[in-house]
Amino acid sequence: MGFFYIGDEATVGKSSHGDAIAVMVAGGELDFAASRQLRDRLTERIEAGTRRLILDLSGATFVDSTAIGALVSVATMLNELDGGVLLVVCPDENRRVLRIFEIAGIESLIAIHRSRAEALRELAVAG
Amino acid sequence: MGTGVDHRGAGLAIDDLRLPAQPAKLRVAREYANRAAAAFGLDADRAYELAFAVNEAVTNAIRHGRPDAHGDIHLSVHAHGDRLTFAVRDYGTFSGYAPIGALDADRGRGFVLMTQVMDAVQLCVGAGNTTVRLSKARV
Repeated sequence: MGFFYIGDEATVGKSSHGDAIAVMVAGGELDFAASRQLRDRLTERIEAGTRRLILDLSGATFVDSTAIGALVSVATMLNELDGGVLLVVCPDENRRVLRIFEIAGIESLIAIHRSRAEALRELAVAG
Repeated sequence: MGTGVDHRGAGLAIDDLRLPAQPAKLRVAREYANRAAAAFGLDADRAYELAFAVNEAVTNAIRHGRPDAHGDIHLSVHAHGDRLTFAVRDYGTFSGYAPIGALDADRGRGFVLMTQVMDAVQLCVGAGNTTVRLSKARV
C-alpha cells in the first residue's frame, strides 16, 4: 500500500465576505488506492457547509489521473454552489507533480497556487 | 512524445513481474518501474515519468481489465538499444477508451497523460488480452 494522508486543518481565515475558508492537506502518494478517500473527505467538507476550500498538496509526491479526477469532480461540485471554489496549493519545489497538473490541463478548472499564503490572498481579494 | 506506434518490436525481455490486480499493489508497480528505469540508465525525471505511466496502465488494467486465473496482471521489461519498454498486460477484452480526453473521464485522462510523458505508447488488443507498451529512451 502506498503511503498517503488526508487531513483537516483548523479554519484559518475569512474571505472578504466573512465566509469561512477551510484548509485541508493531502500528501504522500495519491494514487487509485487513495483517490476515493480523497474525494470522499473533500466531499464531506462540502456537505458540512464548506464553500471555500484550499487543498494543500505540498507534501504530495505522486498524483495520478484518478486523484486528478477526484479534484476535478470536487471543483465542479463547488463551482455549481453559490460562492464555491477549490484552490490547490502545490509549490515550485514539487515540480514533478506540478508538471502532471500542467500536462493534465486542469488549470482552467482549478487554480493552482504556489503557496498557502498566495491561495489565502487570492480568496481574500476575490471575496 | 505522442502515440507513435513502434514497429521495430519490443526487444528482449529482461525482467517480468506478476502483480495482484489490487489498488494496494500500485506502489509495487511504481517501485518496480523506477528500479528498472534506474538500472537501465534513465535519469531520475524520466524514471519518474515511466513509473507514472506504468501506474496509469496498471490502474486501467485493475479498473477496466481482467486479471489472469491467478488474479494477476503481467508486467514485463524490454530493452532495445537505448529504449526501455514496459508492457502491461491484462486478460480482459478491451472495450475502448471513450471519450478520450474528456475532463470528467479518469480513464481517458490517464491514457492521454501516458502518451504525454512517454516517447511512445502502443495499445495491442488481442483475443482475450490487452497489452499497453510504454517506451522511453535514454538521453
